[in-house]
Amino acid sequence: MGLILKNVSKTFGNKKVVNNISFKLDKPGVYGLLGTNGAGKTTTIRMLLGIITKDSGEITWNGRPVSRESVNFGYLPEERGVYPKVKIYDQLMYFAELKGVSKDKAALAIENIAKKLKVTEYLQMPAEKLSKGNQQKIQFMTAIIHDPELVVLDEPFSGLDPVNTEILKNIIIDLVKHGKYVIMSAHQMATIEEFCSEILILNKGNTVLQGNLQEIKKSYPANRVQVDTKENIDKYIEGLDLTVENEHDYQYTIKIKDEKEAHTLLDKLIKDGIVVNKFEIMRPTLNDIFIEKVGE
Amino acid sequence: MRNIFTVMKFTMRDMLKRKSFIISTLIMLVLIIVGFNIPNIINSISDNPSMEHILLVDKDNIFEGNLSLLNNFDLNYDIEIADDTFNQIKEKIENDEIDSAIIIEKENNNIKIRYIVENTSIMSTVPEDLTSSLNALYSNIQIQKLGLTEEQLQLISPNFELVLEQTSNEEASGDVFVIMLISIVLFYAIYFCAYQVSSSITTEKTSKIIETLVTSTSPRNIVLGKTLGIGLVGLMQLILIVTTAYISAKVFIDQELLNSVLDMSNITIFLGVITIIYFILGYFTYALLYALTGSTVSKPEDVQQANTPIAFLSLIGFYLSYFTMMNPTSNLNLFVSLFPLSSPFCMPFRVMMGLDNPLYLVLSLVILIITILVIAKVTIKIYSSAILNYGTRLSFKDIINIYKDKKN
Repeated sequence: MGLILKNVSKTFGNKKVVNNISFKLDKPGVYGLLGTNGAGKTTTIRMLLGIITKDSGEITWNGRPVSRESVNFGYLPEERGVYPKVKIYDQLMYFAELKGVSKDKAALAIENIAKKLKVTEYLQMPAEKLSKGNQQKIQFMTAIIHDPELVVLDEPFSGLDPVNTEILKNIIIDLVKHGKYVIMSAHQMATIEEFCSEILILNKGNTVLQGNLQEIKKSYPANRVQVDTKENIDKYIEGLDLTVENEHDYQYTIKIKDEKEAHTLLDKLIKDGIVVNKFEIMRPTLNDIFIEKVGE
Repeated sequence: MRNIFTVMKFTMRDMLKRKSFIISTLIMLVLIIVGFNIPNIINSISDNPSMEHILLVDKDNIFEGNLSLLNNFDLNYDIEIADDTFNQIKEKIENDEIDSAIIIEKENNNIKIRYIVENTSIMSTVPEDLTSSLNALYSNIQIQKLGLTEEQLQLISPNFELVLEQTSNEEASGDVFVIMLISIVLFYAIYFCAYQVSSSITTEKTSKIIETLVTSTSPRNIVLGKTLGIGLVGLMQLILIVTTAYISAKVFIDQELLNSVLDMSNITIFLGVITIIYFILGYFTYALLYALTGSTVSKPEDVQQANTPIAFLSLIGFYLSYFTMMNPTSNLNLFVSLFPLSSPFCMPFRVMMGLDNPLYLVLSLVILIITILVIAKVTIKIYSSAILNYGTRLSFKDIINIYKDKKN
């Protein structure tokens, strides 16, 4: 059950923008859809929302083919947009009504979500008077006002300040707690790591990596070590022929080929009585994996 | 269906709240009211507008003292007969004692009429009604001198009775001025309303709200709801304008003068119903075409260029109707009344002229409705694909390819 995409493809003209992509969301949670610009994320999202038709493959929601009518979904598109001259409240009511929500329920939902997003004071203003960040929050409201089962968020945090990012994060966590399925596309890998257990990386329409994020990370060998000392340890690093990636105030990030090199370094430091405050062998971050997979 | 009405209501509310719409409608209403008051305004700023004080001087006694008989003619002048010289006349005009003067004098064997005013402008001419009255008076004086009998006089100036007849069975009647007026109003109402659909769609596309909109309801509901909403507002605006014009004509214009300019006898309830039906259908034809072009552009500055072909089509339709109006019983006019791009501008005036053969009327409506359905189908299909294209404006070839693409 849930959302299943099986061998889905789409071609525009002679260009195959999505090639044989498959993934599934079988329990509530956040699924990460990653890729560089033009990788096929938005086309995939548009197909699974039924805005554009797929050329081949199968997309089902709870076992039934996906269409605009059959799935109660909410969508925050990458292309932000509001009616500039129309009052925020009227816009939200309009979209709620289009999604079949009664006026009373919509009014209640607007009140509640506006309170959470701290935009109540803007509800009676035309959208053009709001800052970009607040307009984005309004559009996020449009995506969830009808209490959708599946929420698709395309770059939800881009353009938001840290305070608003935090507010939005809490609402997304809340959505998952309430059993919602969320698909999120983002360029900030830290955000994806924070939210997603399952990910899919697209490159030029092809799936280059997919699966459980922790398992993916475990499958990669350790590639750096972090050492926090009280003095310069350059001579030890040079002696072992290691490369420093980053250093400030005797906090080193050092590239390693395997864990053995890190342990050899630690042995030498201890032997010479160097005080080591922190020593951590690190696996590649999602950012490293992403660059490795899609970097030219 | 429910969502069509939701989109329609939202579009109507958005249009009715727009300052540009409110201001342009108010300006039109004010212009109509002022326009119908122009005769009253002219009368109120002129002291004695209907009676120009004119001095007539018959220097050589050509009219043999009969000039005062001009008062028996139905002339709108306060006529005074005198023997003043040019300098005396000049002084009287400058002192506003008189408005103008006519000096009649002999020059060689001709009679010369000098019309004297304070300033001549480009528009100044010798008053025709006065000169023709002088002409008639002079002829009467000369005829009387000949001592002709009543019978001889009638023979010289017969009263011809002019009757216009035709051989065709179809007979057209009606005031051409009223017909042209209706045709022009209908054209502009359809054209401007339909154009709004295009700009409304492009605005949604450029403000990027379209992406949220197409996930909330189907392109069919958006196109039809928007077209209906703008059309209803346009119809309300048209009814408001026509009603204001009608009331202004009744209240501000002298009814005799109005009837002499506009023969309203052919305006019936049936004609009103037919005009509204053709307005609605004509509007739908062009609005859906404009919806198609509106969805193919991404920037507001490209809208006009994209709409040019449709504007040409509407102009061709209108002028076909306008020029064949001169010969309404011709086959070309019949064709124009059946051709879907011109029938909305043509059929109402054929009905007004009494050329409403029920068969042709029904045929014209059926052709128009089928055309609308075909255009709607094509537009919705193109709109669904083109609306999410944010690149350069789609070419005609691109549009054809989108239509042919079975996957869309």
